[in-house]
Amino acid sequence: MLLELLGVVALLFGLFFCGVGVLGVIRMPDALTRLHASGKVATLGLFGLLVGAALLMPAASLRILALGLFVLLTSPVATHAIAASVYRRQEILEELFEMRDEQVDVTAVDVSGILSRSLIQDIIEAQQRTHRPTEGGPTSNDN
Amino acid sequence: MIESEFAQVAIKLVLLALVSLLIPASYRVIVGTTLPDRLQAVDLITTLLIGIIVMLALVEGTQGFVDMAIALAAFAFVGTISIARYISEGRAF
Repeated sequence: MLLELLGVVALLFGLFFCGVGVLGVIRMPDALTRLHASGKVATLGLFGLLVGAALLMPAASLRILALGLFVLLTSPVATHAIAASVYRRQEILEELFEMRDEQVDVTAVDVSGILSRSLIQDIIEAQQRTHRPTEGGPTSNDN
Repeated sequence: MIESEFAQVAIKLVLLALVSLLIPASYRVIVGTTLPDRLQAVDLITTLLIGIIVMLALVEGTQGFVDMAIALAAFAFVGTISIARYISEGRAF
């Protein structure tokens, strides 16, 4: 009975962190801050759920703890890989904008689905061609 | 199987809450402005799915679901790593 009570408490702990992480993924403004929130779901949230499950079903506790160990080892690596891809993509975009001597908020540029450097360059040129007449800045000269 | 009524009701409520958390997570997949955002939301969804499968193992009382969760965790790790490399370097391996 005490074991089941402890298991339910661990389940509620994991569920709380899952809810907080999903809320952070919805509400956070930036990709890297969103990664901070979703990393908590993988470690604290899922590991809490797995500890609760191991306490509630002692027959399968060895498998559940093996799964927990695997998730605890691999999910920070996956989060780090996503963070590295975000950083590398921002680097490429900043390089491309520096070639044009323009101050652009790189994180706000929408190039979803664009992978390689030449494709990013094509898309940015197309976006600037469409945005240039509506902005009407001092650099816009029609020729 | 779990004998006490209290633990069974709690497990079912946690399962229901986890399934309902899938809806806001898939909102970020659909809306998310850039490609790494979508990848991150898919990773979050697979993490939630592992929790849902373990909760299903508790509800049904069968241990076989845990093996499914282990397989899902392994494939999700490989998939996330390869897509992240594809975004940053233009090729997967």
